Amino acid sequence: MIQLAVRSLRHRAGGFVASFLSMFLGATVVMAFAAMLDTAGGAGVDDLSEETLVTMATVVGGWGLVIVLFAVTSTMTLSVRQRAGELALLKSVGATPFQVGRMIVGETALVAVAAALLAVPLAAGGGWLLLEMLQETDQVASGLSYAFGPAALSIGIGVTLLASLGGAGVAARRATKLRAQEAMTAVTIEQTRMTRKRTIAAIVFLAAGVNCGIVTATVFDGKGIDAMQTAGQASIWFSIGLALFGPVLVRLVTAVLAGPLRMLGGASGYLAVENVRRRTQHVAGALMPIILFTGIATGTLYMQSIENSAPPAASSSIPAEDVAAIETLNLVVVGMLSVFAAIMVINTLVAATTYRRREFGQQRLVGSTPPQVMRMVGMEGVVLAAAGVLFGSIGSIVTVFPYSLARTGELLPDTTIGIYLAIVSVAATLTLASCLGAARKAIRMPAVQAVAV
Amino acid sequence: MAGYDTSRAAQALRLVGVSKTYGSGENPVRALDGVSVSLAAGTFTAIMGPSGSGKSTLLQCAAGLDQPTEGRVFIDGSELTGGSETALTKFRRQRVGFIFQQFNLLPALTVMQNVALPLRLAGKKVDRKQCRSILEKVGLGDRTNHRPAELSGGQQQRVAIARALVTNPSVIFADEPTGALDTRSARSVLTLLAGAVREFGQTVVMVTHDPVAASYADSVVFLADGQMVGTLAHPTAEAVAERMTHLGDEVSLRRVVGA
Repeated sequence: MIQLAVRSLRHRAGGFVASFLSMFLGATVVMAFAAMLDTAGGAGVDDLSEETLVTMATVVGGWGLVIVLFAVTSTMTLSVRQRAGELALLKSVGATPFQVGRMIVGETALVAVAAALLAVPLAAGGGWLLLEMLQETDQVASGLSYAFGPAALSIGIGVTLLASLGGAGVAARRATKLRAQEAMTAVTIEQTRMTRKRTIAAIVFLAAGVNCGIVTATVFDGKGIDAMQTAGQASIWFSIGLALFGPVLVRLVTAVLAGPLRMLGGASGYLAVENVRRRTQHVAGALMPIILFTGIATGTLYMQSIENSAPPAASSSIPAEDVAAIETLNLVVVGMLSVFAAIMVINTLVAATTYRRREFGQQRLVGSTPPQVMRMVGMEGVVLAAAGVLFGSIGSIVTVFPYSLARTGELLPDTTIGIYLAIVSVAATLTLASCLGAARKAIRMPAVQAVAV
Repeated sequence: MAGYDTSRAAQALRLVGVSKTYGSGENPVRALDGVSVSLAAGTFTAIMGPSGSGKSTLLQCAAGLDQPTEGRVFIDGSELTGGSETALTKFRRQRVGFIFQQFNLLPALTVMQNVALPLRLAGKKVDRKQCRSILEKVGLGDRTNHRPAELSGGQQQRVAIARALVTNPSVIFADEPTGALDTRSARSVLTLLAGAVREFGQTVVMVTHDPVAASYADSVVFLADGQMVGTLAHPTAEAVAERMTHLGDEVSLRRVVGA
């Protein structure tokens, strides 16, 4: 099965690009920060610098583990789903679920090792730049000498492998749950209701988000930057909760937009509405990273922006020297999350759209012109972008408003709207460009050929 | 459904010296080699030939799905000229209906929505009554709100026939319409196609490799090595099968001589 994994990898390198990219970027960031541990272990490092360096490495390492785990689960599940036919074939010629699972995990392990090793030189340079920056902003003493050693390598490679294998394990379990017969005849009738488990999880996440928001505005009122402890998490939990409610949100937004789309979009608008209605689960899958991107980026960046313009609080428990370190961490974590969310948005949408090549072909044979297909995909993208931006913005509120209240006494932050506009445009552009780009490529093939594959 | 439209040209489909060559350089494949054929309006024609004889290519060139390398194609008196996919699609919308082996219904739409789709795409007003009456004619009046995945293969193909009939096209092209069906469903699909020709004056061109399917047609055109090698009027399954057997011999003989 491992040999099969190697062959399978060589044969379809393209299908692993998104997984590889997630692992590679994750490995680079985690490794660069883990180099701070090596640096902190060097001779003549004062206590304060050591503490800052260790905190940075641990926080980013922990987040990196979670993010890469999530990203690999998502990208691998998608690539496994697209190979459902191939996996079913393997099962029908006698592969046990265990063997199929081992192949999937084996493929992922190979990709992860390659990604982690290739990340080493980039991470070594990145770590050096990071230390330079920390020294320039006086967060650590300027005399420190940079070290890239055992901690960086073991943590960087370890986190990447652990997260990748974990993600692959989840994807493999999902794939092997289908029995051979079911996989071969898997019908396209999707379940339209959310499972009970998912509903409960969504409610728990939403409640956690609201709770963090309330604690921020009450317990940490007037305590300065301490409030970040809860405020930062609030939008993350709340956005995850909203993302889990995706199918419901998609239906809501579609109900509102159906009228205008049909009126303005003609036959393409009509088809877009029908497609989104019939595929709420698929659409919800694509919606998830858009909500997370918008919600977390807006929440964290505004929190930092409020902090930067607020007066320092007397009753804060955090020494002034650490404030700059916290800002650096905030920006790094949100930057990491955003890049991964962006990869996931692109990967999910491109894969989902490419998967519809046959359907586009059928539609063209019935009489859709290529511009009509593109308009339909574009309008589906508008529904997606609108839902993602709207609910992502709602997700950020539980961070922004309570933090503003705690730090300034005002509910609405007195900061620039520019950041928000930038985040929203990035989210909308990513969504539409991914859908339209993939659709354009998908309809380049003659319709007769497209329906034959 | 509108009845037989007398304003139409007497020739529903006319091909003049149509050739199609795939690839270039050292080994070009000549899939069609100077085919000329005229089919009168209101007829049911089967195109037969061994695999690789060019029958699918012929259908695609005649229907405006593919562009011939040489020659001209006229549908209902209008010439199919080259152009963008958009231009060709608009040409086909008004004049051509399709039925495929794999049905090609859109999975997200109901039976009724699938049937109405060609009208919608062409920006015409959708007459639900008309769609419903066509669905009743193909025996699916009680299935209008089902999705394709909830129907049997035979039922899906009948939806596809209803969808092809709804625009009252000049020619309906059917590519192995019974290829994925059991014998009984195949018979009902062929009876429907023959009925559309006799009762409403539709013109149907069907590619098939099944002599029984071909026997439902008014005439059969035989194709071998990209060339027309004969026709048969009022075909029976036995006569078609007999002819196909010898067609195989003729082709291999020609190959031997040619080599």
